Amino acid sequence: MKKGLALLLTSALVFSCLTGCGKTEEAGSSAQSTDTTAAVTADAGTEAAADAGEALDAAEQAIADRKAKAAESGEYEKIVVSFFDWTGAPAGIDRINAKLSAYTEETLGVDVELLIIDSAAYTEDIKLMLSSGEQVDLFSTCGPGYMTCVNNGYTADLEADGLLDTYGAGLKDFIRADYLDACRVGGTLYGVPPIKDYAIQTAAVCIGTEYLEGAGVDLSTFQKDDLGYYKCSWDDIDDMFAKMHAAFPDKTVYSTQDNMLTQGSCVDNIGGDYYGTLLNPSQDLTIENVYESEIFKTWCERFYRWNQAGYISGDALTDTNGASARIKSGAYMAMMACGKPAYENQISGECGRPMTVFDVGEPFMSSSAVSSFPWCMNQNCADPIAAMQVLQALYTDPVVANLVCWGEEGVEYVVNDDTTINWAAGVDANTSQYYPNVLWMMPNQYAAHVWEGDPVDVGEQTAKFNDNCPVKSKALGFTWDNSDYAAEYTALQNAYQEYSGKVIYGFVDPETGLKELNDALYAAGLEEYMAAKQAALNEWAQAAGIN
Amino acid sequence: MKKRIRRYFPVYLMALPGLLYLFINNYMPLPGLVLAFKKFNAQKGIFGSDFVGWKNFKYLFATKDAFVITRNTILYNLAFIVINTILAVFVAVLLAEMTSRMKKIYQCLILLPYMISMVIVSYLVFGYLSSDNGFFNHTILSALGKEPINWYMEKKYWPFILVFVNAWKVTGYNCIIYLSTILGIDRGIYESAAIDGCSKWKQITKITIPMLKPTVIMMTLLAVGRIFYSDFGLFYQVPQNQGALFSVTNTIDTYVYRGLLELGNMSMSSAAGLYQSVIGFILILGANLLVRKLDPDSALF
Repeated sequence: MKKGLALLLTSALVFSCLTGCGKTEEAGSSAQSTDTTAAVTADAGTEAAADAGEALDAAEQAIADRKAKAAESGEYEKIVVSFFDWTGAPAGIDRINAKLSAYTEETLGVDVELLIIDSAAYTEDIKLMLSSGEQVDLFSTCGPGYMTCVNNGYTADLEADGLLDTYGAGLKDFIRADYLDACRVGGTLYGVPPIKDYAIQTAAVCIGTEYLEGAGVDLSTFQKDDLGYYKCSWDDIDDMFAKMHAAFPDKTVYSTQDNMLTQGSCVDNIGGDYYGTLLNPSQDLTIENVYESEIFKTWCERFYRWNQAGYISGDALTDTNGASARIKSGAYMAMMACGKPAYENQISGECGRPMTVFDVGEPFMSSSAVSSFPWCMNQNCADPIAAMQVLQALYTDPVVANLVCWGEEGVEYVVNDDTTINWAAGVDANTSQYYPNVLWMMPNQYAAHVWEGDPVDVGEQTAKFNDNCPVKSKALGFTWDNSDYAAEYTALQNAYQEYSGKVIYGFVDPETGLKELNDALYAAGLEEYMAAKQAALNEWAQAAGIN
Repeated sequence: MKKRIRRYFPVYLMALPGLLYLFINNYMPLPGLVLAFKKFNAQKGIFGSDFVGWKNFKYLFATKDAFVITRNTILYNLAFIVINTILAVFVAVLLAEMTSRMKKIYQCLILLPYMISMVIVSYLVFGYLSSDNGFFNHTILSALGKEPINWYMEKKYWPFILVFVNAWKVTGYNCIIYLSTILGIDRGIYESAAIDGCSKWKQITKITIPMLKPTVIMMTLLAVGRIFYSDFGLFYQVPQNQGALFSVTNTIDTYVYRGLLELGNMSMSSAAGLYQSVIGFILILGANLLVRKLDPDSALF
């Protein structure tokens, strides 16, 4: 009896294992069937592309073909679009996907599924999906990184067989040709940039308004810059910090993060890292070591001074919380970020209190500003034509953009008279069933509504801000595959992390700290790394006709 | 043979899920090791990608860090093996000798740290060592009238801190295995020893410890096989990823993680994994050979 029971239990166990395997097999075979259908449409596509003049007809034909096929099989083919948010798949994702698909079935003859993944898991998950053949057609490279995706061969050539010209021609109306070119790697276009602020207003010091008032800082003495932020010098900031420190001795003045180069300087991290940079990127294409430069030294001396004065927490080295999250906690008063149009609203939201923004730096557009996280197509995509048409809709169709950015009208948000939007009744950031809150990553946030409080023409303002940026890197669009120097890169990365923390947060005298850091970097192979980067840059500059 | 299969059929059936799991998880991916010698490209696939020879291994040996990370990995693991074994055997003997009803409670309490995630442990440690608000600086050192220590910048303390944290965390778990071995020892031996007038101390040193030896050897061999791996959480989370401490906290795993986090290079991470397993494989074979020479009965295979 007992033995019989044991047999029953074990066989049940074995069977449950086997059924587990069966499931994946099924998924595999269904993927295969879409493969074959794709081959048919792809063939039709290349034929159509042969005559570029009939691009519009070809695009409409592709849509009509898909609709016809759907009418036959009763099921639309599906395009999966993946990006991350901060909390994982939103509760209302199925509803939004249904709404979105209902619309795109009409306009494009496809279903669209948004696959939204928690930011912490996105990088790993998307790489796994891309390398294992799971269906994801369009994805944001924010997380895994554009160059990583290109180097690993995850991305499709968007211009293969005239794909972009024939089926995504509308994209070119929204993305300027030079921004598109900035995403080319070795001449091939693997991604299209999200439409956003590419330029940054460097060194925007953000201080809680209540602390400024408490310390008796008189703001009327400051001029305002083009973006409407107070223009001031670092000496002014030092004065303010001293007053705030005296008025609020229990609070830490400055909330640190390792951003003095990324957000606080016009140094171009050419090729995607700071091991070899352009110190004067609008004029000069010579690669130099930023950690030996005056720019970096000035930063370190400033932090050393602040640390000595007690403006910086003794736990700055170990505290991994975001700078704004610490200010939100109420124990810190100021931080540095980079500004852009309508930034005051954004940072006040992040810090949970009204913030005043001071503009201490200058606007800057780095070589990788445009190509930092473009939207890409999976090289394994079963139907590139449909994917390209969906990509175009994401950039150009306000209905699609609103659903993706904000959710469903009347449920998540309501539209005001001036076309701005706000929360629907009884909904807020915490209770909303669809609030990805990653507007800056969206293909085209300006095709969607503007949130109440931001200027209605924020899109135009941002475009102007980009266009008028005085310090634009000459190397805009230069990308570098460092995989041949991965050994040096790994060693540099370790050396930087070993010696940077204490010197950038002012825990050691910059004289000794910087020497230690530079010695370690050179020992890790900085010279070879910089030379390789310079050679690649020279080659690129020559090909692009820049000198 | 046939009779044996029929007789043990339910047992084989019971082993089947485990064997399947082993096959799928441990043997099927083996051909993928070839990735360590290739420049991976998703379009070409694992087997279609270009061969690059030993290039992917270069970063593990190219710089002066190579010595530091290898030294740290091996020395810490050696310290862990020795100290954790002694502690675990000690605690297991104590627990076995205990007759009070509190025994179960003690056992649970000792096991508890093993269940705590390293991330949580790192914050427990931080609670003691934080330079502004930590228990040591804030309470103990100030009560003694001493200067506060910036723990996360002074590397001389960290070998002790890491060994201590590791011992605190795993002793409870390791001692379960020794405890079960002790409980499996024939009580008759102890009874006859007691009749012969053998003291408790003598019983422990002459009966319990020798009987534990095969288990100790087996556990040590298993640990030796993993001597090139390190507990990532312990070396990355507990020192809060502090640069100033790298020379005493950087191990092969943390070095690879820091370097490849942004590169996302699959071939280089496979190279590191292959290097660790091959060395581990050689070490475990060597250690087993040594044991077989010294004490054939205790060898694993």
